[in-house]
Amino acid sequence: MRKILVANRGEIAVRVIRACRDLGLASVAVYSECDRAARHVRLADEACAIGPNAPAESYLSIDRLIDAARKTGADAVHPGYGFLAENAQFASACRTAGLTFIGPTPEAIALMGSKTQARRAAISAGVPVVPGTEEPIGPGEPDDVIASMADRLGYPLLIKAVAGGGGKGMRTVTSAADLTSAVRAARSEAGTAFGDAAIYLERRLIRPRHIEVQLLGDQHGTVIPFVERECSIQRRHQKVVEETPSPVISPLMRTQLANAAASVARGVGYTSAGTIEFLVDDADRYWFLEMNTRLQVEHPITEMVTGIDLVEWQLRIARGETLDVDPMLANTPDGHAIECRIYAEDPDMGFMPSPGRIVALRAAAGPWVRDEGGIESGGEVPIYYDPLISKLSAWGPDRPRAIARMARALREYEVLGIKTTVPFFRWLLTQPAFLAAKFHTGYLDELLQQRRGEPFATADKEEEEAAVIGVALHLLSREASVAQPVAPGRLALGQRSPRDEVPTGRGDWKALARAEALRR
Amino acid sequence: MTFELATRSRTRKVESRGGQWWMDGRKVDVDAVKVGDASAAAWSVLIGRRSYEVAIAERAAGELIVHVNGRAVVVNGAATRFGTRRARPGDAGAGSAPLQSVRVLAPMPGRITRVLVKAGEAVAARQGLVVVEAMKMENELRAPRAGTVTDVRAVEGALVEANAVLIVIE
Repeated sequence: MRKILVANRGEIAVRVIRACRDLGLASVAVYSECDRAARHVRLADEACAIGPNAPAESYLSIDRLIDAARKTGADAVHPGYGFLAENAQFASACRTAGLTFIGPTPEAIALMGSKTQARRAAISAGVPVVPGTEEPIGPGEPDDVIASMADRLGYPLLIKAVAGGGGKGMRTVTSAADLTSAVRAARSEAGTAFGDAAIYLERRLIRPRHIEVQLLGDQHGTVIPFVERECSIQRRHQKVVEETPSPVISPLMRTQLANAAASVARGVGYTSAGTIEFLVDDADRYWFLEMNTRLQVEHPITEMVTGIDLVEWQLRIARGETLDVDPMLANTPDGHAIECRIYAEDPDMGFMPSPGRIVALRAAAGPWVRDEGGIESGGEVPIYYDPLISKLSAWGPDRPRAIARMARALREYEVLGIKTTVPFFRWLLTQPAFLAAKFHTGYLDELLQQRRGEPFATADKEEEEAAVIGVALHLLSREASVAQPVAPGRLALGQRSPRDEVPTGRGDWKALARAEALRR
Repeated sequence: MTFELATRSRTRKVESRGGQWWMDGRKVDVDAVKVGDASAAAWSVLIGRRSYEVAIAERAAGELIVHVNGRAVVVNGAATRFGTRRARPGDAGAGSAPLQSVRVLAPMPGRITRVLVKAGEAVAARQGLVVVEAMKMENELRAPRAGTVTDVRAVEGALVEANAVLIVIE
């Protein structure tokens, strides 16, 4: 393995390219038309165009990605997450083309990608699963048969897509009267999103926590589980804040979850990085939810509390190395880490996507802060892809100090030109229930509903005064710049040279005031 | 120069003359330095000894979004006056008249689905002008103030970049 094709874009492509460089491996970026100037293209050793902006014609095109690997002489492919990362066909196309797929085998992806098969794998590993139907419910299943399955399971329940993920094809049903229409909606959504309309039913737990266990498996049968991550802060089934360790998991429970996760993974011969997700209730009961057969967005926080580089290990495992991580080190957190997903979304407009050009960006930095962004000042957030622009993580010796550092980092984070979720996170990090770690997977949606669209960042009187002074400065400088010629050397007759009076570039307001006085 | 600038809470009169600043007639100790890239409207502003980072992201002429230490403040500058002096023909600024006319800009890249006004038409404040679609969301852009439409640059079906001028109102 010498040259890695990174079959992704944005911040995760940047993360993988950095891991390649750390190991002395060459990296190849791929890009669609609008991503020519993107950060991952500039950071990689080589870059290869793969087609138009529409994902289906570029980042989701197996043929074009394999072709790019051939053309550039890459001998391995890292899929990142999203796009084709959990696509068994892609993993097997890589294998057929003689490329090392940096991830699990196509068989493991296919097995755990089917939610019903994954549940069976958990059951046979002796791990409890959320009560539900064991077989997929095909599109031909009559409504009354589904209704009797639902009655046996009890309400409220969830309809989920067998091929699902990311909340698509998922419906909550609270009473039998709503079942049939919800089944129809879930089938149609699942069919569109995954090309597979099969669904299954699962009991809906009341106020559970989402706790997950990261693991690594090598090609020699070793599987090592890591300390759990707490991912209960979700908006519409999408994680927005993750932390590790979970504030509610005892060391005993940690061991139980780790053993459960490892036995599921061993049972399916899992290799590379993966994550087993559990739901946990107030009484410390846990149930297997699903497995993600890829690296996760929240991997940095695990790296921060263990000191183990997960992406580097993905590369090393792929080239056949033996996983020699100390299991105690992997499962014992050193301090506490937290991650906020910075999205190009407008939190004050119901988290509406906010694509566009970033005119200025200052990412957070400083002690124990890690910002992993995919875009720089002057860069464009395209309308075609995921709005995640950066993963911001902070570490502290304990939870309060990790939160304090995260709050400091968010205070420094400045993005101009587009809206981001930074103001929302600043607000969330002051919420009493969050600070007391009293939350569950429905907490954030409930909290947001109570706000009724109130803005997230309200300036105080002093800040408003600073804002109006800023506007006055802006108008003064704009007024001054009106006197500038369009191009240097083409001064209109009678117009004064701007160099005499107008502070261009780095002028201050005193010079502006002088300019204004001169023109009076 | 004197400005009348409205935030959500109230309207303030800001005056800048010879390096001195007044807010609603009260003298304020302001020190401001432009920072960052020339194209970014960003300043470090010291008011007394309090340090503020102020950056401006223009949404539409007449209304500005200002980031102050990371918090967004919407400032309406439509009522801006430049002292008592009237713009005269031949003034350096008169040609582009940046503050007399209001330009309605595309808030995001997208496609124009509908144009609701014609040039020469009188419009009321908050009247719908044009509908832009992006990421399957429709966004109706409204008039920031009453006036007459002098220029309609939006074309139905056309793709536009963020901040493209769609409508001009005087």
